[in-house]
Amino acid sequence: MPENKAAVRVFNAVKYFGALKALDNVTLDIRYGERVVIVGPSGSGKSTLLRSLNRLEIIDSGRIIIGSSDINDPGTDINRIREETGMVFQSFNVFPHKTVLENVNLAQMVVKKRSKKEATHISMNLLKKVDIMEKAGQYPWKLSRGQQQRLAIARALAMRPKIMLFDEATSSLDPEMTGEVLAVMRTLAVEGMTMVIVTHEMGFAREIADRVIFMDSGAIIEENVPEIFFRNPQKERTRLFLDQTL
Amino acid sequence: MAQIIRDPQKNFHNPDIAGVRAASGKKDSRRVTAWGIAFTGAVAAVAYLVIFKRDPYLAIFKFLPDGIAVTFQVTVSAVLLALIIGLCTGLARISENKIIHLTASVYVEVIRGIPLLVQLFYIYFALGRIINIPAMASAVIAMAICYGAYMGEIFRAGIQAVPKGQMEAARSLGMTSVQAMRHVILPQAVKTILPPLGNEFVALLKDSSLVSILAVSDLLRRGREFAAESFTYFETYTMVALLYLIITLLFSRLTGIMEERINAGK
Repeated sequence: MPENKAAVRVFNAVKYFGALKALDNVTLDIRYGERVVIVGPSGSGKSTLLRSLNRLEIIDSGRIIIGSSDINDPGTDINRIREETGMVFQSFNVFPHKTVLENVNLAQMVVKKRSKKEATHISMNLLKKVDIMEKAGQYPWKLSRGQQQRLAIARALAMRPKIMLFDEATSSLDPEMTGEVLAVMRTLAVEGMTMVIVTHEMGFAREIADRVIFMDSGAIIEENVPEIFFRNPQKERTRLFLDQTL
Repeated sequence: MAQIIRDPQKNFHNPDIAGVRAASGKKDSRRVTAWGIAFTGAVAAVAYLVIFKRDPYLAIFKFLPDGIAVTFQVTVSAVLLALIIGLCTGLARISENKIIHLTASVYVEVIRGIPLLVQLFYIYFALGRIINIPAMASAVIAMAICYGAYMGEIFRAGIQAVPKGQMEAARSLGMTSVQAMRHVILPQAVKTILPPLGNEFVALLKDSSLVSILAVSDLLRRGREFAAESFTYFETYTMVALLYLIITLLFSRLTGIMEERINAGK
């Protein structure tokens, strides 16, 4: 994997929801292997930015480059980009009509055209990795919320993504389950996965991030390595935010 | 969505009539239902009339089954065609393409505003002036076009009842919108769609009696023919009504069982 090459490049991204400016001229580079944590108050645009990266939201102006493709270029096959950018949602969005194994198998077979045998082999390894292998034959509603989120992570990893996007992956979990999910994310980080993480878990951000980005009102206010960001924030707004959350 | 599925009242228009013990699902003792009374009564009445009032009921009873076959033929063909039209309409109604969306919406508005009987006449007589359509085919086409509009709304509602995150998750994995619809959205929508579709099937079966005016020999038409020859109007239509009743009760019960199965599976 090309080191130090930009995995994600965002140039002057602007996005409106009606009159609300959700993204205000956001410019951002993320290198392969980098772990970027985006923090900020509710409605600050951090989820919108993340969702723009695989075009779940379409920006009104600016450019977003994933790898070497402009994702808003009509000539770009967005489905290929999405295979390479795994996404984990706050609400898990596991497929309720499929078993745990089928959840992980589905896109492998439909999109990657892997055989069922091949997909199952990959899926079982991933289920083992996120520690729910014994649940393979169960339906998701039999799983705890923490287990469902780990399933969602396994499902995304099955596509062999180059980048993983986490949209408040632990926000709807109680502390114990949050710990389980963060453990999986920590493993991915150690393996060198490129990760963009939107979270309210400041302790986790401090521990895992190569770089922390603070957003407010749709704009990037401040970004820095976690040691400086948390100990000595440069901007007043960042300081206020950290005072409220820490 | 789970809430909607678990609430039988929302899914099923006439739970009592269909024999679904909706209000007291846990009480197994409440076996006597409106459905049970109606069905047992109808079967007993037919049996009684055919066995003890042989003249003219046995002759009527022997004359009608050909019509039942035609009624089923019309109903099943129309339902299959209506399902295809309904699915396309439902998908078109949620399409982001404005022209597709508008076309489907206008179709639904127009069809819902014209009585089925008028549509039957229109397709049979009006279009018949341009192209020669056999009675059976025009009956099936008219009913399918009519019911397709209603089914389109059922499909639309069912698809929209699947949480938005499901589509997002499927698309995030690289699925095309068609793949996501096929493998993720529709299988989940079916659970909400099936019970109302069952009701549409029963409604279409009853409405199929309208095709008797187009010289299609369905159950009602056979009854009319028999009555006209034998002058036993009261007896014939009694038998026709009882047979319709038995058939529709059977199918609405099937719908009820289907819904119970779906609820039990979740």
